[in-house]
Amino acid sequence: MKWRGSLTAMLALAIMLAGTMVGLGGQASAQDAADRPVLRLGVNAADLATLDPHYASGTQDRTVVDMIFNGLVRYAPGNSAEMEPDLATEIPTPEMADGKQVWTFTLRDDVTCQAGPDTDAYPLTADDVVYSLQKSANVDRSAYAGDYAGMTVEKVDDHTVKITMDEPLSPTLFLPKVANYAGGFIVCSKAVEAMGDDAFKTHPVGTGPFAFESYTSQNSVVLTANDDYFRGAPKLGGVEVRYMPDPSSRELGMQSGELDVIAGVNEAPWVERINSDGQFQADVFGVAEAVWVNFNVTAAPLDNPKVREALALAISRDEHAALRGEPVSELIYSVVPAQEMPGGLTKEEAEAAGVLYEQDIERARQLMAEAGYPDGFSMDLVTSEMSDYRANYEVLQAELAEIGVTINLNVVDHATMHEQIRNDVNPIVIYVAFRPNANVYLTNFFDSASIVVTGSAPNANFSHYSGIDDLIEKARTETDPEAQAEIWKEANIQILKDLAAYPLYMQNLVYARSPRVDYGHELKSSLALYPQITEQTTINAG
Amino acid sequence: MATAHAAVATATLAAPEGPKLISQRERALRTFASNRTAVLGMVMIVAIVVVALAAPLLAPHDPLQQSVRDRLAPPSVDYPLGRDDKGRDILSRIIYGTRIALLVGVVSVLLGGLLGTAIGVVAGYFGGKVDSALMRLTDVLLAFPELITGLLVLAVLGPGLGKMIIAIGLTIAPRFARIAYGPTLALKETEFIEAARSIGVRDGRLLRVHILPNVGGDLLVFASLWTASAIRLEASLSFIGLGVAPPTPTWGQMIRDGTVHLAAVPLYSLGPGVALLLTVLAFNLVGDGFRDVLDPKARA
Repeated sequence: MKWRGSLTAMLALAIMLAGTMVGLGGQASAQDAADRPVLRLGVNAADLATLDPHYASGTQDRTVVDMIFNGLVRYAPGNSAEMEPDLATEIPTPEMADGKQVWTFTLRDDVTCQAGPDTDAYPLTADDVVYSLQKSANVDRSAYAGDYAGMTVEKVDDHTVKITMDEPLSPTLFLPKVANYAGGFIVCSKAVEAMGDDAFKTHPVGTGPFAFESYTSQNSVVLTANDDYFRGAPKLGGVEVRYMPDPSSRELGMQSGELDVIAGVNEAPWVERINSDGQFQADVFGVAEAVWVNFNVTAAPLDNPKVREALALAISRDEHAALRGEPVSELIYSVVPAQEMPGGLTKEEAEAAGVLYEQDIERARQLMAEAGYPDGFSMDLVTSEMSDYRANYEVLQAELAEIGVTINLNVVDHATMHEQIRNDVNPIVIYVAFRPNANVYLTNFFDSASIVVTGSAPNANFSHYSGIDDLIEKARTETDPEAQAEIWKEANIQILKDLAAYPLYMQNLVYARSPRVDYGHELKSSLALYPQITEQTTINAG
Repeated sequence: MATAHAAVATATLAAPEGPKLISQRERALRTFASNRTAVLGMVMIVAIVVVALAAPLLAPHDPLQQSVRDRLAPPSVDYPLGRDDKGRDILSRIIYGTRIALLVGVVSVLLGGLLGTAIGVVAGYFGGKVDSALMRLTDVLLAFPELITGLLVLAVLGPGLGKMIIAIGLTIAPRFARIAYGPTLALKETEFIEAARSIGVRDGRLLRVHILPNVGGDLLVFASLWTASAIRLEASLSFIGLGVAPPTPTWGQMIRDGTVHLAAVPLYSLGPGVALLLTVLAFNLVGDGFRDVLDPKARA
């Protein structure tokens, strides 16, 4: 039987040779990618909404586009307080020319646009950057067009882009426009042109560490490693994003080993429970949403400053923050959270300015009596059924009951609440929101133009407040970041002096992971609202 | 009192008396008393009513007193079932929740019963176009499941205790109408009704004195069964978030809020769940007992 053995050996050799030859033909890297682990990520959503980065605003969509696209500059992975170059070689300093501000970006020359369904991979040039920022500025092709008004983008040469701002801006306000967030994401022009905007929404093509592979409705998006990524080939073979809106399902998925990273529950007890058994790691990180109370300063009886002060003194920040518990929630002392961005007030700063308003029921009752309401009053308020809102309204209801104010709560669905409060139904509005900088917080919620219903550009000024218009404008055009932050602080102090709002707490994000997952960066804060998976992310062998 | 006699009188027509003569009321009581589960149900209802009436005495804490910093605290001596997501005492909230459950159960069934019976009796007695119009309307309403009808009505009226009672009442009314309709049709043809009519008794009096008392027995059985359904429906609607406005404690709302914390504080959902189960069970047991008394065919 010896001959049969050698025949088998020869056959095997032949197959191996053939395999090698095929391998030389280009299969090697794919083989390679298959050897690397795929990270399975359970996100808190039933489905994607859109993967066009210039429309992506849902948490689940920001997560995916973060892995596929880059900006000219980027927020350091895991630390959104730090800005670093991304597609650009460095962060430029602006120059003034003809009274306008000019930012000149030099592009890296090793950036590759991923292959699209109708296009091959190609080197990224200034043409793509100009195309992309113009798309962001086009109201028909972007949800963020407003941020790009007054901006002119020009190609100087293949690797140089010149951006001219009609109105000079500080780096704090300018750089986010060209960073890896919202309208700042750079899309690959040839791919978009070949596909059209609609197809692009479910087949994004960018320059990032991962490339879109497939999408199954209400189930998953599969991304594969982009081995031509300019920072080097990813250590992962790919990422599978699974849409799982139920937190228990995600937790079970992680426990059974089917998921490596999951969106958690933003509550301290959940974090403690996951971390206590040592099997998994729960991470608490920013960016956090601020939670605060708006008082309508024009509606009786809240138009009386004494009444507003009484209401503020009846509130306990700690009680509200306990709904989430530390470290998921952190107390804030101005609507702009000082922990997250320049322009917010720390506790010390609020105290020094006399706008801390710590709970003092006795004083609150006294103020009510002085204002002519010794027996309080009653008020109807609409709340969303969503626990963030309902729970805070219920806590407020109990707090105000202490000073004789009766709140009748009408629980409606979330969309209805948003519609109603924009129709000025609630004299007191509790709001939960993240905004990327102090300017956007103050403009959206406290600029007189943003006053709901009656403002010139109604947005979310539920307080009908008009006391800081000049400060907002002054800060917006201040190009020195430190001076700008000081003006924002001044504006925040004024809001609190006038008690147009009462800041409660901010709530951080919570994700959990298998301890084998190493993100490749420290996790402090992420504008992409997930821990961020990059080319450095790995899953260590068992 | 004539009402009760008349009701039992028709019920006993089909069951010939035994040799020993006892009053009909006594016999009804005996039948009910011999049904142990029915008696148990009655005892439970009495207990539940006592809990509802004496809630301020029985509840160890103010059901609205919050302390968010102690949220989801496990059971302790002071808080035997633990605290909810706003630090309120779960036991006290269950005790106070009994009031809403009974109020909704009883009042909505009364409302639905009055409305439905009126529709059924009028349609059955007058017949013709009135009959067609009323009973087709009833059929349309019956085509929807209870929860859907409740949702529809609440969607139009908006949430709130009174509106919830109206919504559940309207859900139940067509079912009462159906129950009242059949016997009315049969009674209308009987000799004593014809006799009454021949001596000039007017329709109104005829309906009140002769027809209604005779359909009352069936209605009583279904009223007790539907009280259980109404309480369940209230919990379901509250569970969906369409119920009574916060902070009023209701079982459905508690079960809903507790589901988020099922792993950490199971009693948050389980406590009101058990209360709901016992209450619905009690009304069902009593309803079965009534049926045995009033329906001789069902008697073993």
